[in-house]
Amino acid sequence: MTQTSLFTADARTTKRNRAEKRFKAYGLTAISIGVFMLVYLLYTILSSGLGAFFQTRVTMDIPLVQEEIIKAEKGLLKTKAYKKIIANALYAELAEAGIETTMKEKELLGIISGRAPAELRSFVQENPDQIGTTVEFKLLAGSFIDGYMKGRVVRENAERSKNYSIAQLDLVDQMQKAGILKKGFNLAFITGNDASESSPEAAGFGPAILGSLAMMIVVAGCAVTLGVAASIFLEEFAPQNRFTDIIEVNISNLAAVPSIVFGILGLSVFINYLGPISGDDWIKNNSAFVGGMVLTLMTLPTVIIATRASLKAVPPSIRDAALGLGASKLQTVFHHVLPLAAPGILTGSIIGLAQALGESAPLLLIGLVLAQGASAPDSIAEFFAGPNTAMPAQIYQWSTRADPAFYERAWGGIIILLVFLLTMNILAVILRRRFERRW
Amino acid sequence: MTSKHDIDTQYNDNQTRDLDMNNIKISAKKVQVYYGDAHAIKDVDVEIQDKTVTAFIGPSGCGKSTFLRSLNRMNDTIDICRVEGEILLDNENIYDKRVDPVQLRAKVGMVFQKPNPFPKSIYDNIAYGPRIHGLAKNKAELDDIVEKSLRRGAIWNEVKDRLHAPGTGLSGGQQQRLCIARAIATEPEVLLMDEPCSALDPIATAQVEELIDELRSNYSVVIVTHSMQQAARVSQKTAFFHLGNLVEYGDTGQIFTNPQDSRTESYITGRIG
Repeated sequence: MTQTSLFTADARTTKRNRAEKRFKAYGLTAISIGVFMLVYLLYTILSSGLGAFFQTRVTMDIPLVQEEIIKAEKGLLKTKAYKKIIANALYAELAEAGIETTMKEKELLGIISGRAPAELRSFVQENPDQIGTTVEFKLLAGSFIDGYMKGRVVRENAERSKNYSIAQLDLVDQMQKAGILKKGFNLAFITGNDASESSPEAAGFGPAILGSLAMMIVVAGCAVTLGVAASIFLEEFAPQNRFTDIIEVNISNLAAVPSIVFGILGLSVFINYLGPISGDDWIKNNSAFVGGMVLTLMTLPTVIIATRASLKAVPPSIRDAALGLGASKLQTVFHHVLPLAAPGILTGSIIGLAQALGESAPLLLIGLVLAQGASAPDSIAEFFAGPNTAMPAQIYQWSTRADPAFYERAWGGIIILLVFLLTMNILAVILRRRFERRW
Repeated sequence: MTSKHDIDTQYNDNQTRDLDMNNIKISAKKVQVYYGDAHAIKDVDVEIQDKTVTAFIGPSGCGKSTFLRSLNRMNDTIDICRVEGEILLDNENIYDKRVDPVQLRAKVGMVFQKPNPFPKSIYDNIAYGPRIHGLAKNKAELDDIVEKSLRRGAIWNEVKDRLHAPGTGLSGGQQQRLCIARAIATEPEVLLMDEPCSALDPIATAQVEELIDELRSNYSVVIVTHSMQQAARVSQKTAFFHLGNLVEYGDTGQIFTNPQDSRTESYITGRIG
């Protein structure tokens, strides 16, 4: 045997070290690609969607003259008369700011959202005491003007467009300089109702957020209680035999079933079968209750698997200790095992909820989509039983509409959805920490 | 009214237990234990006396722990485990259909190989048993039980200032004495100990052994141990198990100095096991 020095690496060692270095490089590359994708994704979402949180509005004083309003209410097309009021007010506002314009009324009103007359009318109806005074309004600008302010609409295309003209854009520039037209934070996007296809500037995410909330309440109530109860039974009480083995395998398989299958299941079981049998208002398509139940079916396997894993992780010595003291099985589970498994159960449940929150396919299948411009339900019963929608379903709706302004709304909706998901995940981490730190 | 009744029962209990001093506490007759198809305990007959420390010795896998666990039906928690034969506690078969294992385990306490305090405070560890069995009517009585148990567990002086600190924060030896204190807090009549010192250092072992000797005045103690020296030190009776059979059972002195069976002799002299 030849004597070798420790200072020189032999061929085998060099090869081994090279393999190790290579492996590390692969890992690093994989992570770098992943991080890059994530950053790019976040960049795309934010750059496309942040615009939805800002909206261009035209500030103007509108004198609410009683005679004009009475006349308008007498007419057949009421909003048309309100259009006139707005146009006159805008002319006055422009004159006051020293902006000269020869623009016709129709073209001038093109700057303002088509929803503005209706908005003005509902203000007047809700505040009849304001009639006779002059009120400052911040009316929505039309979606193309808003797009111009955000850089989506450019001058070069104006000649070819029926929707906006060079003259309008010139006027907008002047109005902006004079401070009449401003881009500001758009609370209405978060709280407001969805709008019709022709007025994306007024579309809001409010009903979708509330609908998702309703479904989350149903899922949290059903999936977590059922899931935890089922897991405790399977893990602590059920005998180990063929039957429980089959159940176990099936639960694992259910977790991998595509969500749209659960949608079809919900459609056939809840809506087509249980609905007509029960004759209950709650069980019909597009109610949040049915949506929640379908999501519950989808979430149950996740909750059961997470709960069983955390029950399994509780050391058997704790069970022995309690049983050895003469605690019953139930006491052992509820006094000792469950508290120790709680952090894992909570995390699993929240992750299941987050999964359900982001699910769109089964909800679209059972028709959880609101009519364009429909408002959020106004009573608790309607909240669960009435027509409703959910965040991902609304995002999908917007993404299918033609106007590119809705594209921005869809991304904005994604931002709100992500904020909710992030909040839930942070909550899961905090709860886990808090419960684990106790001992 | 209730308290008078309690005192009466206690008095009667003490009387009968005094009489039982040299009497049989547990009597096993033709006990068979199966794990599925494996026959773990074969035809074991043994009589365990009251107020005595009985040691079960034998090589690993000989069934001594299995047999110990069948004395308070802890084997019930294992699905595939089956026990045949009779085990009589005060002349009542504990495997009778009418017996609720929960009640039995309150009478026959157990201490495990690895210290397993609940992840709760020292106080709550001790108080748990009395609470679920309703042994204390109020906080003051519970405090009394906790103090008495910790004193009997020879750990009171070390923990009296931090009763509300977590039990899991104690050292291994302290944890095991806490577990013993916890087991005696429910006033059992028999205390089963499954290698209680195997996870402890020699000093903690000495403390626990001393404690076992003291416990003998109140309880019938059955201890499984791998250490023959320990069996010789703490027990009055010794049973030697080998391959699921009870090979020899007798006074500790006799087993260690004058074993009747050649297998016992081989084991205690270190030739098998």
